[in-house]
Amino acid sequence: MFADGAWLPISLGLYLAAALAAIVSAVRAGAFQMTILLLSVALSVHGIAIFKRWIRLDHGPYVDLFEILSSNIWSLHFAVLIGCLAVPRIKASLAAVLPVLLVLVVWLLVVPERDTLAPITYGTIWLPVHVTLGKIFLGCAVLAVGLSLVVLARLSGLGTFVTLPGNRALDELAYRFILIAFIFETLMLVAGAIWAQDAWGRYWAWDPLETWAFVTWLSVAAYLHFRALRWSAPALNAVFVLGIFVVAFSTFFGMPFVSTAPHKGAI
Amino acid sequence: MSHSLVHRLASLRVTLACIGVAVAVALFGDGGGAWPFGVIIALPFGALCLNLLAAMATNVTLRSNAGLLGFHVALATLTLLTAADRLTGLAGHIEVTEGLGFDPSLVEADIGPFHPWKLDSVRFVQGGFEINYDPGMKRRETVSTLYLPGDGRASHRVEVGDDSPLVIGGYRFYTSFNKGFAPLVTFTDGAGRAYSGTIHLPSYPLNYFKQGNDWTIPGTSKPIKVWLHLPDEVYEEEEAWHFRKPENARLVVIAEGARQEMRPGESIPLAGGHLRYEELRSWMGYTIAYNPLVPWMLATVVVAILFLAWHVAGKFRARSWDGRARARPSRRGEDAAVGRKRAYVR
Repeated sequence: MFADGAWLPISLGLYLAAALAAIVSAVRAGAFQMTILLLSVALSVHGIAIFKRWIRLDHGPYVDLFEILSSNIWSLHFAVLIGCLAVPRIKASLAAVLPVLLVLVVWLLVVPERDTLAPITYGTIWLPVHVTLGKIFLGCAVLAVGLSLVVLARLSGLGTFVTLPGNRALDELAYRFILIAFIFETLMLVAGAIWAQDAWGRYWAWDPLETWAFVTWLSVAAYLHFRALRWSAPALNAVFVLGIFVVAFSTFFGMPFVSTAPHKGAI
Repeated sequence: MSHSLVHRLASLRVTLACIGVAVAVALFGDGGGAWPFGVIIALPFGALCLNLLAAMATNVTLRSNAGLLGFHVALATLTLLTAADRLTGLAGHIEVTEGLGFDPSLVEADIGPFHPWKLDSVRFVQGGFEINYDPGMKRRETVSTLYLPGDGRASHRVEVGDDSPLVIGGYRFYTSFNKGFAPLVTFTDGAGRAYSGTIHLPSYPLNYFKQGNDWTIPGTSKPIKVWLHLPDEVYEEEEAWHFRKPENARLVVIAEGARQEMRPGESIPLAGGHLRYEELRSWMGYTIAYNPLVPWMLATVVVAILFLAWHVAGKFRARSWDGRARARPSRRGEDAAVGRKRAYVR
C-alpha cells in the first residue's frame, strides 16, 4: 500500500483535519484561518504524492480509478481553496463542502493502488487538456454545491451559517460558479472530441462516458434555463445544482469504468 | 403560424421539455427501436432549433444580447452541421490482407444517405505491420506499412498507425485493434481451374483460443471448417511481445468427416480437386471515417464558446462578486441595474 511513501496518507489525514476545522469554525463563527492553512498543507503534501507517482510511472493520474480519484481529490480541494480565497465571503461554505469531499477521501482509502500503464491512445496533448478542463468544470460545480448545501441547510434548520450572505446572494454566487463550469464543460467536451477524432477516427460515438458527459452538459443547460423561469427560487435552484453534481459525479467516477473500450484504451 | 403559437413555441418551458426529452433519448433511445438512434436524437434538437427561432422572433432581450444570441445561434448551427455530417458521412471498417490491395467491396459501413461514395478510387496495398506489447499483453505502438500508387509503376511507401491515419480521398483509415492471421490457399478443381484466396481468421491475440473459420470451396456450396493449429506458445502473457506470425503453424481442414493437416506448400485432395496451403499471411483491420464537415463544426463550436464567454464576462462586469452593482452608463443611458433586469430571459 502507498508505493510512493507516506505523502498520500498524510495528506488524506490533513484533508480530514481541514474538514473538522471548517466545521468548528462554522459553529464558532470563526475566521477559517486554520482550515485554509490545513488545506494548503494537505494540497502541498498530496501534490508531492501525485508528482512522485507521475514521475515513477511516466504518465499523468488519469488511467485507473485510484489515479482519477486521487487527482480529483486534489483538484477539487484546490478549486475550493482558490474559490474561497478569490471570494472571501463564501469561506464559511467550507464547512458544507469539505465534508462532502471527504467521501472521496474515504473512497480512495479502499481503492487498491496498482501501477498502471497508459494506453497508446493516451499519448496526446489533448488528453491532459481534456482532463484539466474537466477538473476546472467539476471544481466550479463543487463550489456551487457548497453554497447550495448552505441554502438547503438553512431552510431545513440544520445550520445558520451566520457569516455567509443571505440565500439570494448565495444562489446568485452558485449561479456564477455554474456559469463558469458550463464554459469549461463545453471546452472539455470539445477537447475530448478532438482527442477521440485523433485517436479513434470519430469525434463522437455515444459511448457511455460520452453520453453521460453530454447529459451532464444538458443538465447544466437545463439549470441555466430553469433559473430564468419566474418560479425559480433559491431552494429549487440549490436542489438543481445538487442534481447536476450527482450527474457529473456519476459521469466522472462511475462511467469511465463501465464504458466501452476506447476510453479504457483496451487491447 | 399564429402569433400566440410562436410565443408558446418560444417558451422556456418548451426549452426545458426539449432538453428533458434529449436527456431521455440520449440515455434510453438506443433500445433497438424501429427508428435509428440518429433520427430519434435529431427530434429534440430539431425542436430546440425551432424553439430558438421562435424565441429570436419574439424575445427582444434575446435579440439585443449579442453574446447570448450568438451562443445560441452557433449551437443551432452546430446541430445542423452535425446532422449534415451524419447524412454525408461514412463510418466503416475493413480487413486488408498482407500483400493484397484494398477492396472497397469488402467495406462494412454505416453510410449517410447523401454520402458521395468515392472509395472505389482509393488504392493501396497492405505491407507488413509491427505491433509491440508490454508485459500483460498491453498493446503499444502499431506501425502498418502501406504502398500507394506513385508516378508510373513505382509505388509510394507510407507508414500509418494509432492516431496517424492514412488520409486519402477525404477518407481516414485508422489501424484498429483488429488484426490476425490469414492462410493463403489455392483450390484447383477437377477441370484444372485454380482459385486463390485468403481465409481471415478471428482477431489475434484477442481470440487466440479460436483461430478457426468456415470456408466455402469455390464452385460448391459446401462449407468446410478451417483452423490454425498452433503447437507452440506464440507469446508469453507476462512478457513483452512483438506481433509475429507463428513459425510452425499448421492448417487444419475438417471436411466430409475427415481431419487433415497441412504445412505451407502441402496439398490435400478435396471435393473433386485439391487444396494447397501456400503460406500464412496476416491481416490488418482499419476503421474508415469520412467527416468532411468536422473543420466547420470545430470552428462553429469555438465561436459558440467565445460568444458564451463574452456573455458571461458581461454579466460579471455588471455586478461584482461581493454583490454590488457596478454602475456604468450603457449605450442607451441605462445603468447596469436596469440592464441586469433584462438579463437571463433565456
